[in-house]
Amino acid sequence: MIKVRIPTPLRTLTKGRGEVESAGSTIDDLIGRLNQAYPGIKDRLCDEQGELRRFVNVYVNEEDIRFLKGKDTALKSGDDVSIVPAIAGGC
Amino acid sequence: MPPILRIPNSIVGAMIAHARELDPYECCGLLAGTPGTVSRHYRITNTVAQDARAVAVFDEADVKPLAALSESTRAEVAYFMEPKEMLAAFKDMRARELDLTVIYHSHTHSPAYPSMTDVGLAYYPEAAYLIISLEDKTTPDLRAFWIKDRRVTPAAIETI
Repeated sequence: MIKVRIPTPLRTLTKGRGEVESAGSTIDDLIGRLNQAYPGIKDRLCDEQGELRRFVNVYVNEEDIRFLKGKDTALKSGDDVSIVPAIAGGC
Repeated sequence: MPPILRIPNSIVGAMIAHARELDPYECCGLLAGTPGTVSRHYRITNTVAQDARAVAVFDEADVKPLAALSESTRAEVAYFMEPKEMLAAFKDMRARELDLTVIYHSHTHSPAYPSMTDVGLAYYPEAAYLIISLEDKTTPDLRAFWIKDRRVTPAAIETI
């Protein structure tokens, strides 16, 4: 199983849980499975084309998937996935 | 009612020092603690001028057209926290069993109120957004706000 860290704004979809477990062979597969368990989560993470929204950072064992293979990044049991929204703003 | 945020004087001083150090560029960072009481301060590097992802994030939220600004101007009007440093700070908070309580940044030439950019990019409803204004360089002004579903309400701060 893969451990997935859920950011606060999405915990309304995961019954308040900040950490959930899921299977998945890739990030794309994982998001699909999370969406089955927690309907609506995919729309929050991905745009209409199914691409990850830009403010959503996804890490596999602390590596940013943008520097791996993006949504095709392979996962194996025991991996830690963190979903971390960007922090930005300005005057 | 959200709790009053109690922030140690030393951390308030450290945030103001951070803002002054980077002036005219915006500084940014995180505070962590137990609910309502801050105990830890993390400076995070503002990489808005260097990171191409910042432009994409700002464009997606339709807030500030960063690409239209020179790189040095970007950091005077915006911040983007370096993602790896953020992740390291969150990991440290988990190890210490602390919660994220405050997300701070400076406004170097405007008041300490959230801008439309701040509101449009507020993805952390659990944290108070604290702004250090250096509009009056001799008297920094600190104010904090809750930003939830694009609604802004003042957050009470108490210096301890």
